[in-house]
Amino acid sequence: MPPEPPIAESPIAGSRIPVETPRLLTVEQEAGRLLILRTLTAWSTLRSMLGTARLRLGLVVVLSLLFWASLYGLFFEAFGFLESLNLDVISLLFNTFFSSLFVMLVFSTGILLYSGLYGSAEARLLLTLPVRPEAIFSHKFQEAVWFSSWGFILLGSPMLVAYGQVHGGAWTYYALMLPFMISFVVIPATLGGMLCLWLVGWIPKLRLHALSIGLLASSLIAAWVAWSVLAAGGSDRLDAAWFEQTFGRLTITEQRVLPSWWLSSGLTESSRSGFTTPEARASLVEACKFLTLLIANGLLLQMLAGWLARATYRVGYSHLACEAPHRRRTRSGRFDSLISDAGSRATRPLRLLIVKDLRLFRRDVSQWSQFAIFFGLLALYFFNVRSFDYNHAYKSMIGFLNLAVVGLILSTFTTRFVYPMISLEGRRFWILGLLPVHRDQIVWSKFLFAFLGSLLPCCGLVWLSDTMLGLGRSLVLVHEICCVMLCMGLSGIAVGLGARMPDLRESSPSKIAAGFGGTLSLVISSLFIMTVVIVPALPTHLYFATRSLGPNVVSRGVFSWLGTPGGIIASVAIVVAVGLAATILPMVLGLRAFRRMELA
Amino acid sequence: MIEFDHASRTYGSKTAVADLSLSIPRGELFALLGPNGAGKTTTIRMLVGLLRPSRGAVRVCGRDLVRQTREAHLHIGYVPDEPCLYDKLTGREFLWFIADMFGLPRHVSRRRIDREIETFELGEFADDLSESYSLGMKQRLVFAAAMIHDPDVLVLDEPMVGLDPRSARIVKDLLEDRTREGMTVFMSTHTLALAEEMADRVGIMVRGQLRFLGTVGELQKQMSLESTSLEQLYLELTAPGTAGPRRRADIPDAPH
Repeated sequence: MPPEPPIAESPIAGSRIPVETPRLLTVEQEAGRLLILRTLTAWSTLRSMLGTARLRLGLVVVLSLLFWASLYGLFFEAFGFLESLNLDVISLLFNTFFSSLFVMLVFSTGILLYSGLYGSAEARLLLTLPVRPEAIFSHKFQEAVWFSSWGFILLGSPMLVAYGQVHGGAWTYYALMLPFMISFVVIPATLGGMLCLWLVGWIPKLRLHALSIGLLASSLIAAWVAWSVLAAGGSDRLDAAWFEQTFGRLTITEQRVLPSWWLSSGLTESSRSGFTTPEARASLVEACKFLTLLIANGLLLQMLAGWLARATYRVGYSHLACEAPHRRRTRSGRFDSLISDAGSRATRPLRLLIVKDLRLFRRDVSQWSQFAIFFGLLALYFFNVRSFDYNHAYKSMIGFLNLAVVGLILSTFTTRFVYPMISLEGRRFWILGLLPVHRDQIVWSKFLFAFLGSLLPCCGLVWLSDTMLGLGRSLVLVHEICCVMLCMGLSGIAVGLGARMPDLRESSPSKIAAGFGGTLSLVISSLFIMTVVIVPALPTHLYFATRSLGPNVVSRGVFSWLGTPGGIIASVAIVVAVGLAATILPMVLGLRAFRRMELA
Repeated sequence: MIEFDHASRTYGSKTAVADLSLSIPRGELFALLGPNGAGKTTTIRMLVGLLRPSRGAVRVCGRDLVRQTREAHLHIGYVPDEPCLYDKLTGREFLWFIADMFGLPRHVSRRRIDREIETFELGEFADDLSESYSLGMKQRLVFAAAMIHDPDVLVLDEPMVGLDPRSARIVKDLLEDRTREGMTVFMSTHTLALAEEMADRVGIMVRGQLRFLGTVGELQKQMSLESTSLEQLYLELTAPGTAGPRRRADIPDAPH
């Protein structure tokens, strides 16, 4: 006779049952199991990357370090400049920066959690296991925070290190920097998660309206702040008075109830902290108080979020899954017909592919709404640049900076939306693969879609910026040529790398973009933008400096030649060459890889 | 073991499942049949706690799926229509994860994992990342995961999709053995031959309503079509405009 199985207390019914039967886990056990799961998947991902893509991994690390170093250099110079003006605007600068990030993190984490909690296959699996809803929330929350805040760390850390270097921060400042950033991130991210749970759980039918109103309100507030800062005329130079006047309008961000204020105050205190003097020790204590405040609030919000998840997650999931399916009927527009029918028969498949992508773009609210918000805000800012009344040399530089901003925003779109297009197409390749379409045409159609689609808004914005700055025709022409090269090169980088490093297993475009290839595409795009902007900006600035301040301002030699029309033309030629290279090289690599790709 | 108590589920104004009352005892293999959009998947999702009934209740082993969700889940094994696995976990790691989530002690988990790997012939690829698995391999792994805690109730949504004939045989044998030992199986399928071969009772659902509930023999008897296959009966019962089982005499071209 087989031995009796061991007996233990059952946590389910309170009776004694064999321990071989399943049992409910404690909160800590559930968290522990899910942590093991995350560790295993992360380790496995890293191992397969190290095994199969060492070069790619190395390249991404090196380019990311370069990007970080460039940002560090930029912030170092900026803080040094502010220091030289002997201004006390750092607190305002930090408050503005962190409060803006706060709002962005609330929305980005909320949106990521929405898809993670309610749309992912993993959530569907976990909901059928005996797991607490708050444990699933916590598990998906960690994932969303990682995806939403890596940019904050990449952007914020060089800024804070540069600040510490300029202000001679002690080691305590650097030691506290990361805990400050992490504890800050938890607060907006948790608020975003709670907002997501509340919207889906309690007002599921109105969630999109509420989100739209929230985004619109945030955009209006941001626009109002931008307007109030930029609209009023002031000093025509970047001097102490200008900075005091401009930053004075941002005091709205200095509210003591805001976590961004706790963070900036904690950081400024910790930059003065140490163990050498009583003042430094007092600053360290103050900094630790602010850190404790951030941690305590983060933990409290986590507790509330856990409670909210327990009360609403399963109900919300069920509500959302049982929404009446929307039947959307739509007709093809005249514009689509125009593109499809115009041109030769040979290029018709190419045009049809472009029309298909155009339709997908139009019908995907998340794509065009982000495009409209970012470019709309940029247009609003450009409308106001005339209020600065810069002298001519600065006008040229501001024009180039605006060009860089247009390029950087475009690069985020090409990385987020254009880069994943080939990967997503690969999943539908059984359709395209059976059509009489050459594979090259699929890749080219993505390139043309991105290039032609970005040309009009970007060139329009650059023209608006230059017009508001009152720049001459020749300079407008230089900026427009650079802009065309930016559109072409950024499209080439995103499409080419997307075809070279597709992720055919992933169905989420955001995850494809957040992967290695997407990161690499973003880093290369940033370097490309810097090249395209800096190369013509230097001779142009020298040219205008020579004209407004006299020939002696520029030393002899190559710099004096750079500041001539010949130097500017040469720089534009370099930009065109770089733009063509940035387009052709990735496209060639992508086309080759896509031709060879085996799609099961 | 399974009890639907006047359970309904609506999608906006559309009723996916209407007032479903159904009781399935221990050790029975029940097959739910019906055309696309009949409400089978909604029924299954209510049974595994993914969806909450708009009205009524669903219970497994006496545990209400809304109020005692986790307790009910301890008794359920679920094989969904689309297998969800972690690409970056091996099959064995996935089984360990599932066993851990069901709170099985380590030594029991180890024994069960080895048992399921052997049963579903997963040994050859159990230590490969599941991203490299074919659909059939994934489906076998999901079956193994659903059986790891020896559930009292096994819920299957289109279980044979992607399985080769040998794997399908393994699953059929397993279902027969386990139901004999007392496990209850609730299966949704379009494979009528499978239902005919294995099910103790079948339910035929049309537009959210259970149009028929009983054995295949009872259905034949009810429709006076004793020599007719389940496929013919099913097509007759689910034909557009049909309100319920008709008698043989009413069916044109039926063998008399």
